[in-house]
Amino acid sequence: MNQDLMERYIYAVTKELPKKQRGDVAQELRGLIDDMLTERCEGRTPEEKDVRIILTELGSPRELYSKYAEDGEKCLIGQPHYSTYIFVLKIVLASGAAGITLVSLLLQMLEPQGWLQAAGDWLSMLWNVLVSAFTFVTLLFAFFYHREIPIDNPLNFDDLPMVPKRRQEISKGDCVAGMVLCVIFAALFLGTPQLICAYMGDTGEWIPIFQTEEIRRSWHLILVFSACGIAGEAVKLIQGQYNKTVLVTVGATNLISALASVWLLAGRDLMNPYFTAEIAQIFQGDAGFLTGIFSNFQYFFLCVILFALVLDTVIAAERTFRT
Amino acid sequence: MEEIVSGLIQELRRGTLILLVLSQTQSPTYGYHLVRTFHENQIPIDANTLYPLLRRLEAQGLLKSQWDTGESKPRKYYQITQEGKRVLEQTKAYWKQFSAKVDAMLEEEL
Repeated sequence: MNQDLMERYIYAVTKELPKKQRGDVAQELRGLIDDMLTERCEGRTPEEKDVRIILTELGSPRELYSKYAEDGEKCLIGQPHYSTYIFVLKIVLASGAAGITLVSLLLQMLEPQGWLQAAGDWLSMLWNVLVSAFTFVTLLFAFFYHREIPIDNPLNFDDLPMVPKRRQEISKGDCVAGMVLCVIFAALFLGTPQLICAYMGDTGEWIPIFQTEEIRRSWHLILVFSACGIAGEAVKLIQGQYNKTVLVTVGATNLISALASVWLLAGRDLMNPYFTAEIAQIFQGDAGFLTGIFSNFQYFFLCVILFALVLDTVIAAERTFRT
Repeated sequence: MEEIVSGLIQELRRGTLILLVLSQTQSPTYGYHLVRTFHENQIPIDANTLYPLLRRLEAQGLLKSQWDTGESKPRKYYQITQEGKRVLEQTKAYWKQFSAKVDAMLEEEL
């Protein structure tokens, strides 16, 4: 009985230690407990009560384990990234929940269904989005932590970051706004693409510009686009000022976003055929600039996105190298 | 308040205990023997602090260990290494100077 309790305790302490230490620590603990029992009982046979007292003195298995494991400090995301991780997680989860709720309300207005059904859809969408957002942000910061994206760890005084000049500083608010926009954008674009529509003056109708189903089928590209935005903002938040790390990240994430946009918008026909037909009717025979834009709206949209991405990268570069 | 005091005391003890462990392992010694030695010198140390500490010092190369299975129960004996001795000499010298100055300064305060 005594033996059993002691062995269970030792097992609980050692089971999560590295394999090669396990046996050795267990053997040593057995010796220790035995020594403590001998001293406590002074010749009489130890009872279970004695074992319990001694194990209590040693502390909970968890406590003792953490003392043995202390030097490893193995964790998924440690400081100084942990605080930023929690901050970003809160923002992304909150805006994800807000975005999904907004989309659900809009969907309910556009395509009304029973409230119970609507609430069920809302819950399942909410769950899916929050779980994926949590996973994404956690993996992102685990990557930052283990790649040691330096926050401020100057081993050498020459490596100390410059005091940011006015225009090099990155405001926390801008990063937060950027992340919220990325999440809301993804939620709206995926949830209710039919909201992007044009008003037809002659019929007094709103016509969706894109084919809802086509857009939804490309969900992964939209998520990549949004995830790149969040990753870029997270790095800006960590760094707090424009520098080469920010520039490289912004460049890389914008490049990926650009590729995703090209793939999404140049590869297939996303336009709503009704919209295209209406446009042709409105601008009948008139081969002006506007006709060009509207009949190639998909490419026009792509150009606007690419222009914005290039502009963003150029601004980051300008801020970085500004003296 | 009490939490702050116990935290401070723990911090004060941490480095000092290492110094003492190194000084008490000139000849091969096992963990529980050290617990008793510390107790006799009225500097109690919990076994659950000492045992993990011995391992850490071994991993740092300041102690070496050997199992003695000859006796009735197997025991792990720890002994200071050459490297450990050098570390002990330097930190001991520092401690003597440092503690004397700390005492002097604390007296002045009063």
